Amino acid sequence: MHAEEGKMTESLKMNMLLEALPKESATDPTGKRLAKLITSISNKKAPVNTFARIWILGSLQAKVTAGYFAYWLRSRFVDADKKQRLKSAAHLNAALQLFGAMGYLRGAVMKVGQMLANLPEVVPEEFAEVLSALHFEAPPMHFSMVREVFLDEFGCEPEEVFAHFDRQAFAAASLGQVHRARLHSGEEVAVKIQYPGIARTIKADLRNLRLLLQPMCLTKDWQDTLTKLADIERMLLMETDYEQEARFGKEARTLFTDADRIAVPRVYDDYSTKRVLTTEYLRGCHLNELLVTEPSQSERDLFTHLLTVATFRVFYRQHWLPADPHPGNFIFMDDGRLGLIDFGCTLVLTDEEWLFSNEPIQAVFDRDEPRLDRAIAKACLFDNPQEMTTDHLDTVRRGFLWFMEPWVKEGVFDFGDREFFLRGIDNIMEMTRKRYTRSVPMTIWSNRFTLGGRAFCYKLKGRCEFRKIYKQESASPGSSQTSLMPQTEES
Amino acid sequence: MRISEQSKQENRDRILEKAAELFTIKGFEDCTTRDIALASGLATGTLFNYFPSKETLAMTMVSEALGQGREDFQRRRTGEEDLSEELFLIITSGLRRLRPLRPFLGPVLERSLSPFPRKNICPEGEAARLEHLAAVQEVIGRHGFADAPDYVAMTIYWSLYLGILAFWTNDPSPNQEDTRALIDYSLQVFVQVISGAGSDRGEAHAR
Repeated sequence: MHAEEGKMTESLKMNMLLEALPKESATDPTGKRLAKLITSISNKKAPVNTFARIWILGSLQAKVTAGYFAYWLRSRFVDADKKQRLKSAAHLNAALQLFGAMGYLRGAVMKVGQMLANLPEVVPEEFAEVLSALHFEAPPMHFSMVREVFLDEFGCEPEEVFAHFDRQAFAAASLGQVHRARLHSGEEVAVKIQYPGIARTIKADLRNLRLLLQPMCLTKDWQDTLTKLADIERMLLMETDYEQEARFGKEARTLFTDADRIAVPRVYDDYSTKRVLTTEYLRGCHLNELLVTEPSQSERDLFTHLLTVATFRVFYRQHWLPADPHPGNFIFMDDGRLGLIDFGCTLVLTDEEWLFSNEPIQAVFDRDEPRLDRAIAKACLFDNPQEMTTDHLDTVRRGFLWFMEPWVKEGVFDFGDREFFLRGIDNIMEMTRKRYTRSVPMTIWSNRFTLGGRAFCYKLKGRCEFRKIYKQESASPGSSQTSLMPQTEES
Repeated sequence: MRISEQSKQENRDRILEKAAELFTIKGFEDCTTRDIALASGLATGTLFNYFPSKETLAMTMVSEALGQGREDFQRRRTGEEDLSEELFLIITSGLRRLRPLRPFLGPVLERSLSPFPRKNICPEGEAARLEHLAAVQEVIGRHGFADAPDYVAMTIYWSLYLGILAFWTNDPSPNQEDTRALIDYSLQVFVQVISGAGSDRGEAHAR
């Protein structure tokens, strides 16, 4: 009886999986072959050659994600000759197996799977959820594990380092967890601790994944994908370097005054190492907790304003892209200030990247369409717009103009506008579907930054005078350049 | 000539100290009892009065380190740990004390703690094993497992423990942090076996 029930659920699951998977009209119209491949792979027990492997991606949502991943990869070599196709298929299998074992992607993969299973009727709320889940997770550490990390990093126990140390973590951080503590001098602090060895596991996995995907390289676009994967690896590994994060945090702290109502917690160097980061504790809550309290519109607007000021400030003064707009990185403080607590994933733009990223923005302000098209072509790795198809150019241009909407609109901009957010998502989906994904690596960072920020403000249903803030921040003393606004508009 | 208890103790300590130095420099296998006697300023015959073999000498160090580790464990445990966390603490406290000996420990542990049937059982090794298992049984008892764990459970535990030791002696990661994760997961497996409980697959964390 039990066995039959088990079978029933299995076949039910299989049907759901079949429903949710993409179909290749020519070779696999029912999607059965693909479903079989994914099921056989994700049911295999992953060899536990590193500890993080105990979390395998066995869930239905993970299978759906893996299915899309496989579909997308396979579509790249459908037209290849038989020999190449077989070789690529073998590599695809190995890549999927590895993917199935990357347990620290669990949360992200499940959220992506949920979204994909609901295609094409994805609602903006779902998309916003997915964006907020795109980060690595580490298994929780019990207190005895934390103590071992402390003995290695400081040579003594947490209770000796601090006057008080909470045994229980109060928040999960990417790749680690955060504990509250009090210094001997009385200050309340947040202590972020990294899970031992997880950075090396991720590094090794991503390198292996790249090696497996390499021989499947058939087109120029594919090479671009691999380049991007390397950049994603770089971005995510930045989050494991707490010393660098501390440096960014300290620099960011100098950018804001009390009047700004933006708080960056103080870093306590004596209590920080490569794997432990101790900062001032900011009293407040995260986005979801704030939303439960049904904040007033003016509260929502205030925080949207502060968030915009903060990101423009670091962008124009430091040329930084804070590429991880994860909701956990923002604290809605009890005293009405906005706390920025994580600088782990900050891209410092080179002068060249800085000019490059400002070029299309300037073109939009100048209403110089040929110049905008040239900038877009360059960003998409074409020599000039004529090399692109009309549809390709139009689609990317539409996306960029969507990005610029808040910049050009006078007065209050409403980021909670569903129609606005939906248009952005539709554009991304269209670009992915049509495989208009080739671009300079920096766009991964800027897209994550923009989409993450927009998703955050959409959830918050906040409004602000975006253009006015832009003008102020880009023109303020200390910014490396004056406003990009054309003179005529200023006058 | 009769020598005092005090100088006996001093000789013993000196032998252990010199042996540890030599094992670290030359490796356990390439170091002879003659080398150790020479470095300790004793005749080889005299050395045997203290330690009947090189193996016993090394395992005495191991046994003493593990004993200190157990003392550390008693001092460090707060009483709030659950079973797997407490077992984690006892193992890591021991490994921390063993750390100075790590460079030469691989062959020592392999010889003296091997679970395979042997002609010559190292008495020091056997004592270390029994003491460790007794401490583990006490921890298990404290967490409400009334019956003494049977041979299956203790064999599983000992296999996991030896696997951890073997991995640790060879672990190239900084501060052997990969071993720490291995211990954590090994203990989750062990606790599941003896309690029959389902696994926490990280749901609590993956919100």
